[in-house]
Amino acid sequence: MRTILLPDSSPLVTLRLVFRTGAASDPPGKPGLAWLTAQMLSGGGTRRMEYAEILNAFFPMASDVSVWVDKEMTSFTAETHRENLDEFYTIFRDMLLDPGWREEDFSRLRDDAVNYLAVALRGQNDEELAKELLYQEIYRHHCYGWHNAGTVSSLQGLTMEDVRGFYGQQFASGNLTLGLAGGYPEGFAQRVIADFHAVLPARAPAAPALNQPKQTPVNTVLIAEKPARSVAISLGFPMDVRRGHSDYPALLVAQSCLGQHRMSSGRLFTRMRQLRGLNYGDYAYIEYFPGGMYTLEPAPNLARSHQIFQLWIRPVEVDVAVFSLRLALHELEKMIRDGPTEEEFQRTRSFLSKYVNLLLKTKAVELGYAADSEFYGIPNYADYVRSELVHLTREKVSAAIQRHWRMDGLSIVMVGPDAGRLRTQLLSSEPTPMTYNSPKPEEILAEDRIVARRDLNVAEDGIRVMPAEQAFA
Amino acid sequence: MSTSENRIFALDYDQHDFANGLRLITVPAPYPNVISMYIVVAAGSRNEVEPGRTGFAHFFEHMMFRGTPDFPPHRYEAVLQETGASSNAYTDDDRTVYHTTFTKEDFETIVAMEADRFQNLQYSVEDFRTEALAVYGEYNKDSAEPLHKMFEVLRDTAFDVHTYKHTTMGFLRDIVEMPNMYEYSRLFFDRFYRPEYCIIVVVGDITPAASRDVVERYWGAWKRGSYRAEIPVEPAPQGARERTIDWETPTLPYVMIAFRAAAYSDSAVDAPALDLVSFLGFSENSELYRKLVLEEQKVDVLYSSNADHVDPYLFTVLTRVKNPADVQAVRESILDRLRRFAAEPVPLEELEKVKKHLRYRFALGMNHSEAIASTLAHYVSLRRTPETINRLYRTYEALTPADLQSVSSRYFHDSGRTIVTLAHRGAGVDA
Repeated sequence: MRTILLPDSSPLVTLRLVFRTGAASDPPGKPGLAWLTAQMLSGGGTRRMEYAEILNAFFPMASDVSVWVDKEMTSFTAETHRENLDEFYTIFRDMLLDPGWREEDFSRLRDDAVNYLAVALRGQNDEELAKELLYQEIYRHHCYGWHNAGTVSSLQGLTMEDVRGFYGQQFASGNLTLGLAGGYPEGFAQRVIADFHAVLPARAPAAPALNQPKQTPVNTVLIAEKPARSVAISLGFPMDVRRGHSDYPALLVAQSCLGQHRMSSGRLFTRMRQLRGLNYGDYAYIEYFPGGMYTLEPAPNLARSHQIFQLWIRPVEVDVAVFSLRLALHELEKMIRDGPTEEEFQRTRSFLSKYVNLLLKTKAVELGYAADSEFYGIPNYADYVRSELVHLTREKVSAAIQRHWRMDGLSIVMVGPDAGRLRTQLLSSEPTPMTYNSPKPEEILAEDRIVARRDLNVAEDGIRVMPAEQAFA
Repeated sequence: MSTSENRIFALDYDQHDFANGLRLITVPAPYPNVISMYIVVAAGSRNEVEPGRTGFAHFFEHMMFRGTPDFPPHRYEAVLQETGASSNAYTDDDRTVYHTTFTKEDFETIVAMEADRFQNLQYSVEDFRTEALAVYGEYNKDSAEPLHKMFEVLRDTAFDVHTYKHTTMGFLRDIVEMPNMYEYSRLFFDRFYRPEYCIIVVVGDITPAASRDVVERYWGAWKRGSYRAEIPVEPAPQGARERTIDWETPTLPYVMIAFRAAAYSDSAVDAPALDLVSFLGFSENSELYRKLVLEEQKVDVLYSSNADHVDPYLFTVLTRVKNPADVQAVRESILDRLRRFAAEPVPLEELEKVKKHLRYRFALGMNHSEAIASTLAHYVSLRRTPETINRLYRTYEALTPADLQSVSSRYFHDSGRTIVTLAHRGAGVDA
C-alpha cells in the first residue's frame, strides 16, 4: 500500500482511495464486472447496515462515497466535515472492507449500469456516445475494447459470485494508493492505514497484459445512426505517449494550440466555430477525457498505460457534417506539417505553466493527481509540467508532433441521422461546398474550396453503419 | 457545526458601492496565489419581455466574447492565455455570469480587460450572424437530451404570460431568427450592461483595499443606465395542466410533476419551507426514495427541486420509471406524498436532519476560491449581498413542522399543478 497524506487545518477531511484495477481486468466474457463490483461497494450496504440505513446516516452529514472505474484504476472519493469524521469513517471503512453483498443492491445497481449504457449513452448524449465508440473502434480485440461499464448482455449475465470473486481477487492492499487530506486528527491516518492493511489481502493481482493495437493505413468510419438534429463526430488514433514520456510536454502544448478543452483559444475552435459558426466548439486531446460536456477541467484517476489522440467535433448539421470533418482534418494536417507558430507556442507555454496550478483546486483533486503521478512515475504534476515546459522550443514541439501525430489510419465515428447520405458523401469525390449567412473574407472562401475537395482516404469496406441502439449490446 | 455569530457564510467580506451603482464584493480566502472573479449581470432570460426575443440574454453572453476596438477577439484570447486563466460564462433565468479564475499577479490585467468589454463591446454584423449559428449548434447538441425538451414543454405549459414560460435557450423559432437581430443586440447591451445591473465578486488571495482600488480605476467611469424591464406578472393558477411528449428514440419514461411555487426570499417562509419539503420528500434518505428506488426498484431517478428564482417559479419532482406499466402508480405515489405534506406535520426529528444536511452541505461546498465565488454569484444576483445567505439559513433554522404544513397546503393543490410525461413512441405509457 502506498499512502499520500496532505494534512492541513481545514475543517474538512477528504479520503481518496485508488485501486490499480478496472475494466481492463474484467475476466474474458465478463465486461462490466469491475464496474459493478465498485458500484456494490459505493452504492450498496455493508454487512452491518443496509444501504438505506447508510443513506440515512450520511444524509445529515451531507456526505457520500463516489466512485469511478476506468481501465486500470478504480477510485473512491469522500469528503466530510471533521465533526462527523468518526461516524462517517466507520461506515466508509465497512463499505470498502466489509460489504453486505445483498441481492437487492445487486439487482438495483445492475439495472443502473444497464440503463447507463442502454438509455443514457445510446439515446441521450450523442457526443459521449461518439467518443466511447471511438475507443471501442480503436481497441477492438484489446482489453480496453469495451466500455468501462461493460455491455448490456454481459451485465445481464453477471452474478453475485462474479462480483464477490472479483472483489476478493482485485481489491488488495498491494494495489491500493490511500490518500488523506484536510484537518483530520492525530492518529487518524495510522488508523485508516492499519484498517486497510488488516483486512485486504496483501498481494496485488497481476496487471493485465497491454500493448497498443496496430493501425492500418486507411481511415475507417463508423456511423451510429439515430434520429437527431445534428451529427456528433469524434476521431483519433492510438498514440504511444503518456505522462512521463519525453514528448508528453511537447504534445500537451500541441494539444492546447490545436484545441484546449472548452476554451476559445485553440485553432479548431477559432476556425470552425468562431470564424465559420459550424457548431458549439471543437477540441483536441492526448488523454482520455470523459464527460467533457459537463466539466471544464479533466478528472484525475483515469491514468492509462496507453492513450489515444482524438478530436472532438461538437454536433454539426447533417448538411455540413462532411465539410466539418474535412475542415478538422485540414487543421490537423496543417498542425502536423507546420507546427505551431512561434507566437502560438510562446502564448500556449505561458498559459499551461500557469493553468496547471489552477487544476489542483480541491484536496480531492490534489490527491487524485498525486495518485496519477505515482502511476506514471513522475513528480507532482504541476511541477512536472512547469519544469518541462521551460526547456521546450517551438521546434521541439513540431518534431514531437511529427513523430506521434498522423493523417492515416484514423478511426472516425459519426453519431446522427441520414447514415446513407453521409456514407455516399464520404465515399464520393464530389466536393462538399460551404455557404454562409454572411459575407466571409476571401482567405476563408479560398480555404473552403480546398477543404471541400479534401480526400478522406476512406474505402467502401472501411465504412460501417449500425443503429445506435446496437451500441454496447 | 458551530458558526460564528450564527453566520453560515462565515468569511469576512467587503461590500462596496461605487458612485455609478456598481457593487463590488471582495472576500479574502485562505487559498494562496489564486483569485476568482465572477461578474454578475442581474439580467437573464427573465428579462426577455419582447415577443420574438426569447433566448437573447444567452445569445448576448456569446457576443461578449466578440471583442472591442482595444481588445479584438484574438487579442482578448491572447491575454487570457498568457495569464493562464480559466474563463467562461453562463446564463440562466435571472442572471448572466462571466467568470475567470487566475493567478493573483494578473488581477489588474483581467479587471482592465473585463471592464473594457463591458463598456466598449463592438462587433460586426458578420460576426454577429456567425455567432448566432454557434447558439443554434448549442440548441442542437442539447436536443438529444429528453430533459431539455421536458423543461421546454413544462415551462411553456405552466406559465401563460411570465417570461419563465421560455427556457434560457429560448424558443427554437426565435433562435432561428437570431442572425437578423443585430440592431436589437446593441439595444440589449445598452439596456442591461450597465453598472446598476452588475455586481463584481472577487474571492481569493487579495485584500479589499487592493480590490476596490483596481476595480475603481477601470470601472469607475462606467455610465449608469435607466432601463427597467416590466416583467409580466403571472396570474393565479387556473387549474391542473398536463402534456405528454412522444420521444423519437428509445428511452425509459420520465415524469415531471410541478407546482407553481414561491419567489426566492430569505425572510418570508414560503420558499425556504418549500426548499426543506423538497429534501424531506425526495432526497436519498426519504421514505419515498427508499420505497421507489431501493425497495420496489420501480424508478432509477428521483429528485426534486425548488430552484431559487426572482419571481415565483416551480417546485418540480422528476422521476424515471423502469417499466412503462408503472408510470401511473409512481405518479400517484409522488402526488400522494405531496398531499401528505399539506395534510400532516412532518416529524421534528426529520426536519432537523434536513437543516443539518443543509448546514454541512454549505460548509463542504466552500472548499476553494472558485466555489465560494460561484456560490456568492448565485445569491448576490437575487439580493445583491452575501448577507442574504446568512438570513436564509437563519430562516431555515426557525422553520417548524407547522410552517411546512401550512406552506405545503397553499402550494400543493391541483390548480397550480403541471405534469409532463415523456416516453418513447409506442412504449405503452398510460399517463
